[in-house]
Amino acid sequence: MPEIRVVNRNIGKKDSHTLKVFRAEGGYEQAKRALKSMDPEELIGLMEEAGLKGRGGAFFPTGFKWKLVRGDPNTPRYVVANGDESEPGTFCNRYILEEDPHNFIEGMILAAYAVEAHTGYIYIRGEYGLAIERVQEALKVCYEEGVLGENALGTGFKVDLILRRGAGAYICGEETALFNSLEGKRGNPRFKPPFPTNSGVWRKPTVINNIETYCNIAPILENGAEWFQQLGDGEDNAGTKVYCLSGHINKPGLYELPLGVTARELIFEYGEGIPGGKALKGFKPGGASAGVLTAEELDAKMDASIGQYNTILGTGGCIVMDETVSIVDSAYRDALFFEEESCGFCIPCREGTPNLVQILERILHGQGTMADLDLLEDIGESMAGSFCGLGQFAYRPVVGALRKYREEFEAYVRGEIPASIVGSQ
Amino acid sequence: MAQPIHAPNQENVGADDADSNVNRLREQLQPLKEDPGSVMEAIYAAQEIFGFVTPEAIEVIAEELGYPEAHVYGVVTFYTMFYTDDQPPYILRVCRDLSCHLAGAEAVAGAIEKKLNIHPGETSEDGLFKLELVSCLGQCEKQPAMLVNLDSRAEMTAGKAVDLINELKTGTE
Repeated sequence: MPEIRVVNRNIGKKDSHTLKVFRAEGGYEQAKRALKSMDPEELIGLMEEAGLKGRGGAFFPTGFKWKLVRGDPNTPRYVVANGDESEPGTFCNRYILEEDPHNFIEGMILAAYAVEAHTGYIYIRGEYGLAIERVQEALKVCYEEGVLGENALGTGFKVDLILRRGAGAYICGEETALFNSLEGKRGNPRFKPPFPTNSGVWRKPTVINNIETYCNIAPILENGAEWFQQLGDGEDNAGTKVYCLSGHINKPGLYELPLGVTARELIFEYGEGIPGGKALKGFKPGGASAGVLTAEELDAKMDASIGQYNTILGTGGCIVMDETVSIVDSAYRDALFFEEESCGFCIPCREGTPNLVQILERILHGQGTMADLDLLEDIGESMAGSFCGLGQFAYRPVVGALRKYREEFEAYVRGEIPASIVGSQ
Repeated sequence: MAQPIHAPNQENVGADDADSNVNRLREQLQPLKEDPGSVMEAIYAAQEIFGFVTPEAIEVIAEELGYPEAHVYGVVTFYTMFYTDDQPPYILRVCRDLSCHLAGAEAVAGAIEKKLNIHPGETSEDGLFKLELVSCLGQCEKQPAMLVNLDSRAEMTAGKAVDLINELKTGTE
């Protein structure tokens, strides 16, 4: 099965980041047409009909989100692009930002038109140096060429986009933390409800979508809802997903495939399997937040249905581990990540994340006890009551690994696996 | 070649230069007054001018943008890429998360530690380099990945890390 290029249609073309190339490929034509001749409600209806769902990992129906924002009489409304991509194993947004920035900008213009927003914010993580440069450049040329501004694309519709740089905080990918950050505050999350559709940026109704989601809007307009539905593998899975492969894999990289491809196809067909002919031990389908799957679970579909394996698809950042990997060590890596990235705002997450790290260190050093294994479960249970998604997910890779590879944890405790020297952190 | 985030030898900056830095910052903050919530952009501007976010810079940002100093300080200390003390020209950010870890990030960090005789978070004796072990940089297809300031380097090895340091050193001589 060949890759299907929808989101990544321009990636790899020479100078794909320039307006000239984007326009030569038909860029901004859909936005121009819709802004001139389409009713905003018709545009929202088309997204609903196509079945587009948010590609940031929550898979919330995009058209419905827009409808909720449009239905709130409170103005001004805003649109936001979430480009804070920080989930370990995930780098698909970075390619769009670096190689095809006009692609998501066109989607943002269409979203703004759909909900009658006249200001949008683009939030990009601070570490993405080249991405930030390219988006700055793209915005500059958009204003020079009349794509943005008072008379966007010559249609009389006003839309301004503002770029905001993050500065090193995973939590800012959480939508309400992102709003705080782009308002110039510490990136702590806000209580939900109210949800962003009613209370987002500046507490106003806000559409916030992932960069990848925005890249699907214009193609749906161009090719129709039915075309988009058929790209996926069934009614619940419309469109493609840009999966990322990393870890022990022969061909790490991006693969845009029908949403719902199996992990087996992704890893062994597209990624060409594991280097050195080694066996697969496990894989994480959606970054650090996703629980590990075993080699026996390879036929899981890479879509929302993967939840039945006690994991999440999340960002689709698939990390592959060969037979030499210590699952306890991999869980420790995830725990370290969440310890570092907990924002410290609520106690279950602030205290739970370092507790998991300490216990896993103990186990890896050969000093763990069987009671420690139960303690990991208990701490996880407390962390489930964290204030936001970060803490609510942070324990799952650890507890998930424990449940699926308990024997390996117990072998460490019994001293059957030599104590690891836990590397410098 | 990665650009240094600021010129080395900041300690030799004279009083006149310090004044002109404050004036430069004030100038750069003027357009931000029209953009509500642009505190982080202001902090970036300060960091580019002073090399780090000085107490004086916090005062100026607070005054110009109309926030309490505590608010600005709170924002500065929340984010890992804002610094309240002087930084060397090259920050070596090595990813420590799972994909890069599986691909051998520890050997890369270890080689840098040995070459520069520092631990993570420390600055080398020559004042040129700092090593940071950081969360996923979103460069996982280049595993193990690192950044020199914001410049990404792919498929690092211990040997490539040593070469990189030598190359950067030569560039600053």
